[in-house]
Amino acid sequence: MLEGAELYFNVDHGYLEGLVRGCKASLLTQQDYINLVQCETLEDVKIHLQTTDYGNFLANQTNPLTVSKIDTEMRKKLCREFEYFRNHSLEPLSTFFTYMTCSYMIDNVILLMNGALQKKSVKEILVKCHPLGRFTEMEAVNIAETPSDLFNAVLVETPLAPFFQDCMSENTLDELNIELLRNKLYKSYLEAFYKFCKNHGDVTAEIMCPILEFEADRRAFIITLNSFGTELSKDDRETLYPTCGKLYPEGLRLLAQAEDFDQMRRVADHYGVYKPLFEAVGDGNGGKTLEDVFYEREVQMNVLAFNRQFHYGVFYAYTKLKEQEMRNIVWIAECISQRHRTKINSYIPIL
Amino acid sequence: MGSLFRSEAMCLAQLFLQSGTAYECLSALGEKGLVQFRDLNQNVSSFQRKFVGEVKRCEELERILAYLVQEINRADIPLPEGETSPPAPPLKQVLEMQEQLQKLEVELREVTKNKEKLRKNLLELIEYTHMLRVTKTFLKRNVEFEPTYEEFPPLENDSLLDYSCMQRLGAKLGFVSGLINQGKVEAFEKMLWRVCKGYTIVTYAELDEPLEDPETGEVIKWYVFLISFWGEQIGHKVKKICDCYHCHVYPYPNTAEERKEIQEGLNTRIQDLYTVLHKTEDYLRQVLCKAAESVYSHVIQVKKMKAIYHMLNMCSFDVTNKCLIAEVWCPEADLHELRRALEEGSRESGATIPSFMNTIPTKETPPTLIRTNKFTEGFQNIVDAYGVGSYREVNPALFTIITFPFLFAVMFGDFGHGFVMFLFALLLVINENHPRLNQSQEIMRMFFNGRYILLLMGLFSVYTGLIYNDCFSKSVNLFGSGWNVSAMYSSSHALAEHRNMVLWNDTIVRRSRVLQLDPSVPGVFQGPYPLGIDPIWNLATNRLTFLNSFKMKMSVILGIIHMTFGVILGIFNHLHFRKKFNIYLVSVPELLFMLCIFGYLIFMIVYKWLVYSAETSRVAPSILIEFINMFLFPASETNGLYSGQEHVQRLLLVVTALSVPVLFLGKPLFLLWLHNGRSCFGVSRSGYTLIRKDSEEEVSLLGSQDIEEGNNQVEDGCREMTCEEFNFGEILMTQVIHSIEYCLGCISNTASYLRLWALSLAHAQLSDVLWTMLVRVGLRVDTTYGVLLLLPVIALFAVLTIFILLIMEGLSAFLHAIRLHWVEFQNKFYVGAGTKFVPFSFRLLSSKFVDDMA
Repeated sequence: MLEGAELYFNVDHGYLEGLVRGCKASLLTQQDYINLVQCETLEDVKIHLQTTDYGNFLANQTNPLTVSKIDTEMRKKLCREFEYFRNHSLEPLSTFFTYMTCSYMIDNVILLMNGALQKKSVKEILVKCHPLGRFTEMEAVNIAETPSDLFNAVLVETPLAPFFQDCMSENTLDELNIELLRNKLYKSYLEAFYKFCKNHGDVTAEIMCPILEFEADRRAFIITLNSFGTELSKDDRETLYPTCGKLYPEGLRLLAQAEDFDQMRRVADHYGVYKPLFEAVGDGNGGKTLEDVFYEREVQMNVLAFNRQFHYGVFYAYTKLKEQEMRNIVWIAECISQRHRTKINSYIPIL
Repeated sequence: MGSLFRSEAMCLAQLFLQSGTAYECLSALGEKGLVQFRDLNQNVSSFQRKFVGEVKRCEELERILAYLVQEINRADIPLPEGETSPPAPPLKQVLEMQEQLQKLEVELREVTKNKEKLRKNLLELIEYTHMLRVTKTFLKRNVEFEPTYEEFPPLENDSLLDYSCMQRLGAKLGFVSGLINQGKVEAFEKMLWRVCKGYTIVTYAELDEPLEDPETGEVIKWYVFLISFWGEQIGHKVKKICDCYHCHVYPYPNTAEERKEIQEGLNTRIQDLYTVLHKTEDYLRQVLCKAAESVYSHVIQVKKMKAIYHMLNMCSFDVTNKCLIAEVWCPEADLHELRRALEEGSRESGATIPSFMNTIPTKETPPTLIRTNKFTEGFQNIVDAYGVGSYREVNPALFTIITFPFLFAVMFGDFGHGFVMFLFALLLVINENHPRLNQSQEIMRMFFNGRYILLLMGLFSVYTGLIYNDCFSKSVNLFGSGWNVSAMYSSSHALAEHRNMVLWNDTIVRRSRVLQLDPSVPGVFQGPYPLGIDPIWNLATNRLTFLNSFKMKMSVILGIIHMTFGVILGIFNHLHFRKKFNIYLVSVPELLFMLCIFGYLIFMIVYKWLVYSAETSRVAPSILIEFINMFLFPASETNGLYSGQEHVQRLLLVVTALSVPVLFLGKPLFLLWLHNGRSCFGVSRSGYTLIRKDSEEEVSLLGSQDIEEGNNQVEDGCREMTCEEFNFGEILMTQVIHSIEYCLGCISNTASYLRLWALSLAHAQLSDVLWTMLVRVGLRVDTTYGVLLLLPVIALFAVLTIFILLIMEGLSAFLHAIRLHWVEFQNKFYVGAGTKFVPFSFRLLSSKFVDDMA
C-alpha cells in the first residue's frame, strides 16, 4: 500500500467513514444507561429506547415483549447497517468486511454442528445464529461427519475455506473435536486477518493490529482458563493459541505450561498490558470476572480507534461497540425481567 | 405592521386544569393552537411520567392502524381522506374505539392468515403440477439419451418407470424432485456434486412461467429439477442439501398411472382451492372496505390524542392530585382566547369546577412570535434562516420586504428578464389555491413558497431595467434621445462658434471609425433623458466606462444608506430595551464614524454631479484622489471641490477620531460607574422584585405545592441575580471586539456593496453576449431561408435566456442579496438569539397519514 492514505482515502471510503462516525454518535450515552437501569418493566425499556437512536424498532412487535425479541430486533438493526456498509464498500474495504463476518460464520458453523450432534432440528438452531454470519451453505453443515468432509463438501467455496488448512483430519466430530475445530479455525482466522491488516499498512495497520493482537491474547488466556481440568493435553493446547498476539512466542510457551489461574496470572505479570487487567480481577465473590475485564479493555481500544482518521478500524470498532451495547441492553433487560436487580449495574459502560 | 416590527408580547401563564377536564381543555387548546407548553418534568425520564400508560395505548392503536393501512394498501382499496379533521375523541369513546379496532385487527389477522395459508397451499399444488409436467419430459429424455440406463438389461428398459425393478448392486435407485429458485441452481448443483461425489444425476429445466415465492411473495423464475441417485445414505444427504437451498420438494411418482392419478387429484383440488380463496378474498375486501371508511379519521384522532397526552406529561400535579398545573407561554393578545378555550373545555366535560388560568411574572426570556401572512411569510423565512429574532427585538423582515427585492433588482436590472420573472410569479400567485401546486415537490415547492418574493423581485427588476434602459440587453428609446448627432456637423453652426470646438464634416465622418459627441457644443446635448439612461449609450463604444462609473457610485450610495439605516434601527432597539446610554455611547459614535467618512464620500459624489457640467468637466477633480487626500494631508495644495474643503475635512476627521475611543471605552466605563455608584439602576430592580413577591402571594393561595414551586423560583431568581456578577474585563473585551468589528466592517462592508455593481455588470454583459452570439447572427442571414433559420435561433435564445440568465443569474443575484442582508445589514443591529414560539397545535401534526405510516 502506498503511503499517504489521507490523500485518496475519501475517494473510495469517505462516505462510509462519515456514516460510521455518525452511527457511532448514536450509541447510548451514560445518561441513557442510568435511565434504562431505572426501568421497571420491559415496556419501560422499550419506551426509553424509543427516545434514543433505536427509534421505534419494536413498534411492530405484539405483546408481550420478551428479551429475545429485543435482542433479535437489535441484531437485525445492526445487520441492516452492516449490510448497508458492505454493499457500498469498495476493495479492499469489502475484503475487510468479509474478514469481519468470518468470525460470526465460524460461530454459526460450530453452533449448527453442536446442534446436529444433539439431534436438534436445523430450524431451531438457525434462529440462534448470528445474522451477520449467515450464508447459504450453512444449513448443510450437518451433512459432514469429519472436518475434511466439512471442508470438501460444504465450506470449500465460502470465505472460511482458507482457514481449514490446519485442521483437516478424519476424526469424527464429537463435542471435543468440534471445540478444537472452532479454536483452530479461529486461530487461523485471526492470523489471516492480522496479516491482511499488516499488509494493508497505514493507519489501518496501526489501529487494527493492536486490537487483533489483544483479541489473540485474550483467546489464548481464555483457552488456557477453560482447559484447566479437561483432558486437553498441554501440547494440544499450545497448537490452539493464535500466534499473532503480544504473547507470542515466549508468553504462549509459558501459558501452555500453566496449570492453574495463579500460574496464568504470573505469565501475564510479564506483560505491561495485561498485568493491570489481571490485577483488576476480583477474587471469588463480588469482583469483576476476567471476561468483564477483557471486555472493558476491548471497549476502550475500540473507542480509541475513532480518534484516528482514514482507516478501516472504525468499522470494526463500531460493530464491536454496538455488540457490546446490545449485550448491555440484553443484560439490563434480563435483570429487569427476572427481577434480579442487584447485579443490574454490572454492564460494561461504553465511554 | 405593528406585529411585524417587533415580535409579540408574551406572558407566562399557569393553567390549573381539573384532572377530569384536563383532556378536553387541551383538546380545545390544540384545535386553536394558542400556547406553547413548558416541560415541568424535565428531570423525569420519559417512562416515569404520569400519562405513560395512555401514551402506550395510543401507540398500540397506532400500531393497529398502521397494520390496517398496510393491508388496505395491499388490497389496492383507495383511502378516502376526509376534508375536515375530526376533533380528538372524547375519553368515553376511546375505549369503544380501541375495542372496535382490536376486534377488527383480530378478525383481519385471522382472515389474512387463512388467506395466506390457502394461497400457499394453492401455490404448492400449482408447483407440483408444473413439476409433474416437466419431469415427464425428463424421463423420456433420460430413456433416449442417458447412457447410464443402457447398463440395464434391455428387458427392463420398457418397465423403466417401475421403481422396484431398479436395483443395482443392492442399492435402490431413488428420485428426488422439486423446484428451486433460479439464482441458486448453480451452487446447488456444485454442492450436490461435491457431497455425492458424482453418484447422482441431476436434470433440470427452467419453468416457462414465473411463480410467486410463497415466503416473500416475490414473483421469480423457478427451475424444476430431478435428482436420481443410488443408495439410502446419499438420499439423506440429497434431502438435506435440498433443505439447505430451500427447495420445494414434492414426492415423485414412480409409475405413469400414479402420475396420472396425482395429476387429476391435483387438478380438482386446485379448482376447489380457487373457489375457496376467491370467497375469502371477497370477504377480506369487504372487511377492508368497511375499515377504510373510518381509518383516516381514526388516524387523525389517535394522533391528536397522543399529542394531548404528551402535553399532559409536561404538566405537574398538585399535592391533592385533583388538579394539573401547566405552564404555558401565550401571546398577551390571545389571553382572552385562551380563557375562552379553557371554559369551552370545562363545559364540554361537564365539570363542576372550571379550569382557569392566571399569569405569572417571570424573568425568563419568552419565545419569539411574529405573526405572518402568506405575503410576509417568505421574507420572514429569509430572516429566520439567519437567526430567530430575540424577544421584542426590531424585526428586519419588515424592511426586507422592500430592500431585498430592490437590492436583487439592482443586480438583475433588465426590463425583459424582470418582466418574465414577474409573469411567472404572477402565475403562481393567481393559481396559489391550485391543489397540484400545494402538493408539489422539492424545487417547484421552493418557487411556490417564495412566490411573493419572486413577484416583488420581478417588479423591481422591471423598474431597475427601465433605469438601466436594458431590455434583453437592448435599450428602448421611449422618449427620444437627448443627444443630437446632426448638431455636431460644422454646417449647422455659425463660423464664429467654430473656434474652440471640434466639429465634424463629411471627410472626418468618412475617415474615422470612432467619433465622439461633444456635449459642450450647443445643440448636441438637449437635456437629460426623462427616465433612466439615455438609449444613445447603447450605441456608444465607451458605454461600459460610463455605466461602470455610474453603477459603482450608485452601489456605494445604496450600500451606505442601507447600513446607516441598520445603525438607526439599533437605536430603536436601545430605546425599547431601556438602555438609553447605549444610544449615546454606541449608536451615536457609530453613526458619526460612518457618516463622517462615508457620508462625506456620498456628499462629494453628489456635489460633483451637481456642480460640474460638460464645460467644466476638464477641471473637475477626481473624487478618489480627494478622498485619499482627506486622510493623507498632502503638502501641495490641490484646488479641491469647493473652498474651505480642507477645514471641513479636518473637522470630520477629528470627529471620526474622537468617536473611536468613545465607542471603545464609553459603554464599559459607564457600566463601571453605574456599578460603583449604584444610582437609579438598583432602585428599579428592587421595585421589580416587590411586584414579583406580591403576585407570588396570590399564587400561593391556590395550593401548597405552588408555594414550594414559587420558593424554588425565587431561589432560582436569586441565583440568577448573583450570577449576574459585574465583570468589567468581560464587558470591556466584548465592547472592544464589537468596536473593532464595526470600524473595520464599515470599510469592508462598503466594499462589499460593490457586488451590486459587479453582478449587474455581469448580468448585462452576459445578456449582451447572448444577443450578439445568437440573435444577431440569425438576423444577419438575409436570404429567404434565413427566416427558417430564425426559428431555432429564437428557440435557443429563449432556452438559454431562461436557464442561464433567469435561473442561474437570478439565483446568484438572490444569494448575493441574501448575503447583503444577513451580513452587511443585519449585523448592525440584529442579535437573532431568540427561540421560535411553537404552539401546541393540531395543525402542525402531519395530516398526510399514508406517508409516515406506510
